[in-house]
Amino acid sequence: MGRLFAIEIIYRGIFQKTLARNISRAIVLAAHKEGKPGISFGRYGDSPERNGIPAKSFAIVATDDVTLEEGMAKYEPKDVDITICVDDTLAKGVESWAWYGLQPVNKLLKPGGTLIVTSRLEADPIIAMCHRKETPYEMAILKAIPSFSGLWVYKDDHTDVRILGAIAKILPDLFSLKSVQAAITDEWHDAVKVTSAARAYEKLTTVTVKPTQGNPEVPFKFDLPKWHEMGEGIVIPSIPAGHKMEDPGTHATGGYKPDRNPTFKKFSTRTMRPVVDFDTCIKCTLCWLQCPDSCFDVTPEGLYDANMEACCGCGVCEAVCPVPNCVTMVNESSFHDNASQWVAWRKDKTNYKGWVQEKIKGHGERSHGFRYLGQYEEQVPEMLDIATKG
Amino acid sequence: MAIATVVEQQKGTEETALITGSEAIAVACKLADVDVITAYPIRPYDTVMQYICKLVANGEMDCEYIVAEGEHSQFEIVKHASAAGARVFCGSSGVGWMYAMEALTVTPALRIPMIAMVGNRALDDPGAFGVEHNDALAVRDLGWQLVWVDNAQEALDTALIAYRVAEDRRIFLPCAISCDGAFLTHSQAVVKIPSQEQVNKFLPRYNRGDLLLHPDNPITVAPQGNEDWVMEIRRQNYAAIERSYGVIKEAYAEFEKIFGRSYGNPFFEEYMTSDADIVLMGMGTLSTPVKVAIRKMRDEGKKVGFVRMRWFRPFAAEDLAKCLSRFKAVGVIDRDYSMGSPYNSGVLATEVRTALYCGSGAKPPVLGFIAGLGGREVTVPDVEKITASVQQAAQGKTQPLTQWIGLRE
Amino acid sequence: MATVVKHDPTQALDPFKSVKKLPLEEYFTSGHRTCQGCESALLMKLMAKAAGPRTIVLGSTGCMYVANTTYYSTSWVVPWMHTQLGSSGSAALGTAAALKVLMRKGKMKNEPINVIAFCGDGGGADMGISGISATLTHPDYNCLILMYDNESYANTDIQLSGSTPWGANTTFSTPGKVKRIMHHRWKKNMAGMMAAGHPECKYVSTISMSYGLHAMNSMRKALAIGGPTFVHSLDPCPKGWDYDPYLSHEIGELAVNTGVWPLYEIENGVLRLTGRTQQIAAGKIRRQPVRDYLTKQGRFAHFTADDTDYFQSKIDEMWTKWLYPGVIPFRKEIEADSAPAE
Repeated sequence: MGRLFAIEIIYRGIFQKTLARNISRAIVLAAHKEGKPGISFGRYGDSPERNGIPAKSFAIVATDDVTLEEGMAKYEPKDVDITICVDDTLAKGVESWAWYGLQPVNKLLKPGGTLIVTSRLEADPIIAMCHRKETPYEMAILKAIPSFSGLWVYKDDHTDVRILGAIAKILPDLFSLKSVQAAITDEWHDAVKVTSAARAYEKLTTVTVKPTQGNPEVPFKFDLPKWHEMGEGIVIPSIPAGHKMEDPGTHATGGYKPDRNPTFKKFSTRTMRPVVDFDTCIKCTLCWLQCPDSCFDVTPEGLYDANMEACCGCGVCEAVCPVPNCVTMVNESSFHDNASQWVAWRKDKTNYKGWVQEKIKGHGERSHGFRYLGQYEEQVPEMLDIATKG
Repeated sequence: MAIATVVEQQKGTEETALITGSEAIAVACKLADVDVITAYPIRPYDTVMQYICKLVANGEMDCEYIVAEGEHSQFEIVKHASAAGARVFCGSSGVGWMYAMEALTVTPALRIPMIAMVGNRALDDPGAFGVEHNDALAVRDLGWQLVWVDNAQEALDTALIAYRVAEDRRIFLPCAISCDGAFLTHSQAVVKIPSQEQVNKFLPRYNRGDLLLHPDNPITVAPQGNEDWVMEIRRQNYAAIERSYGVIKEAYAEFEKIFGRSYGNPFFEEYMTSDADIVLMGMGTLSTPVKVAIRKMRDEGKKVGFVRMRWFRPFAAEDLAKCLSRFKAVGVIDRDYSMGSPYNSGVLATEVRTALYCGSGAKPPVLGFIAGLGGREVTVPDVEKITASVQQAAQGKTQPLTQWIGLRE
Repeated sequence: MATVVKHDPTQALDPFKSVKKLPLEEYFTSGHRTCQGCESALLMKLMAKAAGPRTIVLGSTGCMYVANTTYYSTSWVVPWMHTQLGSSGSAALGTAAALKVLMRKGKMKNEPINVIAFCGDGGGADMGISGISATLTHPDYNCLILMYDNESYANTDIQLSGSTPWGANTTFSTPGKVKRIMHHRWKKNMAGMMAAGHPECKYVSTISMSYGLHAMNSMRKALAIGGPTFVHSLDPCPKGWDYDPYLSHEIGELAVNTGVWPLYEIENGVLRLTGRTQQIAAGKIRRQPVRDYLTKQGRFAHFTADDTDYFQSKIDEMWTKWLYPGVIPFRKEIEADSAPAE
């Protein structure tokens, strides 16, 4: 029996589809340079990808064909040497298309395996976002603006090859930097990309994450019923009608809180969340009306509280809000829970005001999607600068 | 009966009329007070819809009679009407049935108790009107209950039984009643028409219950499933078709009590088998030439019997294996083809062999015969020729496993 | 009267007066697996809000099936049932027919229940068109067929449909080294076709989720007027059109303001341009150039200036040469139209 290597790539559906495919393809090609057979595949269950909804790709490589078959015999790897997380906000957990419940980003990592995260942040805030794991693992931060290259036009910011360089450093038995560079040359014929990979290899450092570190919360899960426990005729109950909200202080009831799908919550799709300034809200209804995810709870006094279990961070509310800074999209990494903003505001308005100011100052450039012709080109230079300098 | 010549009045309750098989099923729909019916023209099944049109026009029947723009819509419309609580009827023939195939696929999966008449017709190409059983057989793996009848009376009775079985909450699966094109759909016979009171007693009202699509019962029906769910969903439908065997038996017993007509074993009819050495098998109207030939051969001292399959789905494998184990050899006449199947036999022959192979009793040789395709007549000499070969097999003489009968060669 | 159409009563659905007077209840709620900024999901929400609780919804295969309802999971509060890709017309007809006959025979409580069948542009403008057409010829069944048009088979992998605009990048029309424009067909004029072809259909309209109140009131009219009706919504799709999801609302507005998506309704045979489209036609506001719309979408990122000009010329033609601007493509005079060279 030879050795089997499994690498998991967790990415944002559609935005990072091409990026993830490039990475897993290049892993197999680099290993091929050393005569190691391998396969690259996207998780089929995730394939009707949606913008932002977490999805997975895998690369499986082995020292020989028989060992490779051992890996291919599984629908997908059950434990991996490396997990690559190409957007740091995915560290909060993964609720994919293909299953129910929230999966910790480090779930499939073998003891001592490495989690590679592309981020502008340091390791500590990201460790805090990840759920705790019983066994220690390594974390490597690849300094980068998460690469949301979109679908039709690929924003080549070298994230793909930098990750290849990092893998060569972490898992030298899989392939050497030399093989990575050879594969890059074959695939892209781009000397600068070769340099970027080398730079990532040289600069890469990892920290050990102990079982005592990380988010202690137990992620919500879902148990599959037996065939005779399921309703006949492919019938399931509808969502119950919603109900009035209650004011935490006065206990006055009013407004409306819709009931929500209990088996799919969608918040792990979020890379940004709306921060609402209730003091400046003019109750124009637009955020509530135009939200495709019905995520706004209507409070007894007629304000709109974005429910963080349901919000997927599209940003339409910010776009339609007529009041400056009343709704502001802020990067998800600056929050540690899904608590109600309205409840916090009702408890202590002055304190809340301060909190809002602190959150929305320098909330950062929107990283994902396509907004105007040529946008990709404009975003690339800054990334290339990081890539080549490291 | 405005649409049929009333032959005689009988004890006030039961009429007798001279009607075709199609007309008999139309009458059953009227007696069953069917709510939504969709029609689309294709020969030969469409005669049933012509009769229903007259029933509606004459005010003898109250239903939504909808002429669709194609078979796919025809079957989808009644599928949804049934989901909303309506008793429905539909039907088709040949390639029309195949055009509806997507709808035919989802109907059992959704547990819709649709009753459909198939006027069996050869599939294109070439376009042919004549009978062949491949149309109805095309859905045999999907959860449809499939029954073949061979006369107008049986058509009417079976339609009533089909509604009772399909709409039983334990089942909720569709049922297709196959009537051979021309031989049954277009030829008239004297049929006893049961009274409305009898039918009401036999056939409870369709109750969609917990699966009803209505604002008072808010449900989501048929969300898209992945590999975590599909096996469990298929298993549920297996359980339903498994239960169908018992529910069919109950229905025939109840039918006999109320209408006084008995069909013996619901799943297959045995003709002159008690002392038979060998038997022939088949489905539908080829029973007529076969029975005539058997009587002739009996006069010549040949101990031949006939087993006519009624219910093809569910397939009463154990009963049939037990029955056939009494004989020295079996000849199965298929009015269908199954290209490239084991021994290139027809569909029925292949299933009979499977049933016997796993049965507990003796396993007589099974010869397959392809005959009467495209509506070609199966003649008495054809049947005699078939019998001769089966007799050879009974005496241990090797015979070809599949033979084409009535072919110019 | 040679024939009499037996109309069953419909629900009284008066127009919502203003966004401040909308009901708070949601009948299509959170937890669907659509993209961030999905305008079709918004359409589902506003459609359910407009129709209210006594409604049955039928959904044909597509994003709004696969993403909203993944087994054991649903976002629907009102009863909902899947129908096949090409079956929205049949699903509406069959459900409406069942309600009609069961109520007539006293087998079901007699009350007006809304029946809505939705389909995407693939299920509606392509595969389902004959079934929809047939349903629109049945005057005595109350039902609404709602087509959510995201201009591709977006669920399946963004393949082009008969409703995909000229030149757009889809996985079946990807620009290559030699051919830049792989999709040479002009978008089907579905609403106009449905209105022109079905004289008994009392209501056809086009809507956009960027004008939510207008859209809800249009759907309420379609449900209340009696008989089969057809509403066509253009839904910006961040997945297939490739733009930042927060732009969904703005791109919907741009589609209308550039004249690419004219808003109109045909009520009892009377054509009425509505909303911003009416103002453009009346010369109150100027039509924006289509490039403002095209350049915000990755699916047009391969367009050259010629392509944009050609697109503009086709839109101008729709506004200046069509007998009714943006509605029916009968021209006052036939003129040659020439696509740019490859």
